[in-house]
Amino acid sequence: MNYLLHLLIYLDIYLIVTMSLNLLMGYGGLLQVAHAAYYGIGAYVAALAMLKFGWGFFPAVGLAVVVAGILSLAVSLPAWRFRGDYFVMVSLAVQSVGYSLLYNWVDLTNGPFGLTGIPRPSIFGYEFDTIGAVTLFASVTAGMCILCTVLLLKSPWGRLLKAMRDDELAARSLGKNTRMAKLQAFMLACALVAVAGSLYATYVSYIDPTSFTLDESILMLSMVIVGGTGNIRGPLVGALILITLPELLRFVQIPDAVAANVRLMIYGLLLVLMAHFRPQGVSGTYRLQ
Amino acid sequence: MQILFNGLIQGLLLALVGLGFALVYNGTGIFHIAQGVIYAGAPFILLMCVQAGVGWSVGVVLSLLFAVVLSCLYEVANHGPLQKREASKEIHLIASLGVYISLVQVIAIIWGNETRALRNGVDETINLAGVILTHSQLLGGAASAALLAAFLIWLKRTDIGLQFRALSDNPTQLSLMGYNIRRLRVVVFALSGLLTAAAALLMAVDIGFDPHSGLQMVLLAMVATIIGGRGSFLGPIVGAIMLGILRSQVVWYASARWEEAMTFLLLVMFLFLRPQGLFGQAGRVEAQL
Repeated sequence: MNYLLHLLIYLDIYLIVTMSLNLLMGYGGLLQVAHAAYYGIGAYVAALAMLKFGWGFFPAVGLAVVVAGILSLAVSLPAWRFRGDYFVMVSLAVQSVGYSLLYNWVDLTNGPFGLTGIPRPSIFGYEFDTIGAVTLFASVTAGMCILCTVLLLKSPWGRLLKAMRDDELAARSLGKNTRMAKLQAFMLACALVAVAGSLYATYVSYIDPTSFTLDESILMLSMVIVGGTGNIRGPLVGALILITLPELLRFVQIPDAVAANVRLMIYGLLLVLMAHFRPQGVSGTYRLQ
Repeated sequence: MQILFNGLIQGLLLALVGLGFALVYNGTGIFHIAQGVIYAGAPFILLMCVQAGVGWSVGVVLSLLFAVVLSCLYEVANHGPLQKREASKEIHLIASLGVYISLVQVIAIIWGNETRALRNGVDETINLAGVILTHSQLLGGAASAALLAAFLIWLKRTDIGLQFRALSDNPTQLSLMGYNIRRLRVVVFALSGLLTAAAALLMAVDIGFDPHSGLQMVLLAMVATIIGGRGSFLGPIVGAIMLGILRSQVVWYASARWEEAMTFLLLVMFLFLRPQGLFGQAGRVEAQL
């Protein structure tokens, strides 16, 4: 039972991640590979605020959201100028620099040793210390994040994003401020993924930089690509598939030594198959162009 | 001086990989991440051959052959069919990433995740006017300089070299002239594989190898290509040498942990200040999508 709850928490975290990434990929049309860096920034800022300042969970998450939102300028300002391959490279650079900072800024982040003893979230004195309570908490948070995103995407702002993705020049010629829209989309996506990061930090109560590498970004990207982009259910399906698939593999008799390798191999194969036979993902509507 | 030479040799080896990347990138526009598999796989083939007792020369030939065949397979089985369906660059990138992820795991499953070495014990050194170089460094530097020179002459002097340059300039025009660009693309991939494998073997003799070193190399090659200027074949070579020297200086003056961050900062600087690179032709970045 605890195992299922644990999976559910991971699913909740990755639901937030894929929703936010979909905002950029499916609605912004930008292949962002720096998402794990923002996930890590969220996790680290929240954890440090709780550990060093003794803040509660909510102010800490608030701070993480603000910091990630501001740092999102590092990818959103280049996105004004670059699209396609060039944007991929810029976000790769951001990912790499972000990871180096987490790894090398030892005074603040404790470097490769990571941060331990991150407290569980508490609200009005009630601490979510059992796994059931954490599951409930994570699910409610994920639900709220998804609801906010859905409402935003249904609004005129969501339509502006779609218009920008399909033809930026046309949107601009109709008097829409596409640069502002990009800025806001990145800010929102990075803030959301910071929420996911702080959830992760409080749940596992230990974080180190290796959880926020390029590989993690690629995993997030695969979820969105496999699930599909451009609508609400695509990323949800993607997170569900890529979270449950490796767990199903546990029931097949694979030696432990190669289990991680086999899992990654399947991710890779899924990406190739998707690219060839279903570029819009399992249940997406938008083909990456 | 010592550091400069270390950097120069590292840069020359990197230039081979960079040229392998640039060949495919200039010729086909594909972001060739799967190149990393060739880089990671070739030394393992050589190791297998040496352990089987067939001798070094046969081993080297077999591993280069493996690289060429694998590289052609990429085009024939992966990118060719995608190109026929006029897939976007993002789809090519995703497919290439997927191939990389799954094949690297195959290598890791067959040969294990550990770092291996091709030679035993400490390498002999040689003192050249105050600069101490190991034999494998000397071999790497000399062999890669020779290969690079041979490639550049071949590109300038032969008919197929001219076709390569035409392909990277305007593939549609070339095919209108009656050249078979599908076959030419396979040749491009084959040559890219050959150069990459040569670099991988030389590097493996010097510093050892493991299955996961490929992606990092490809990223460096990509940075070298961009700062050298896309569309140019001399560019990536100069870019890679610059990068090698910069990286060894960073290791000496700061720390090895800042290598990646500095590399990508250089990339970002180039993207903003000189997006066409050192030898590229100026043009609107958005127009080159």
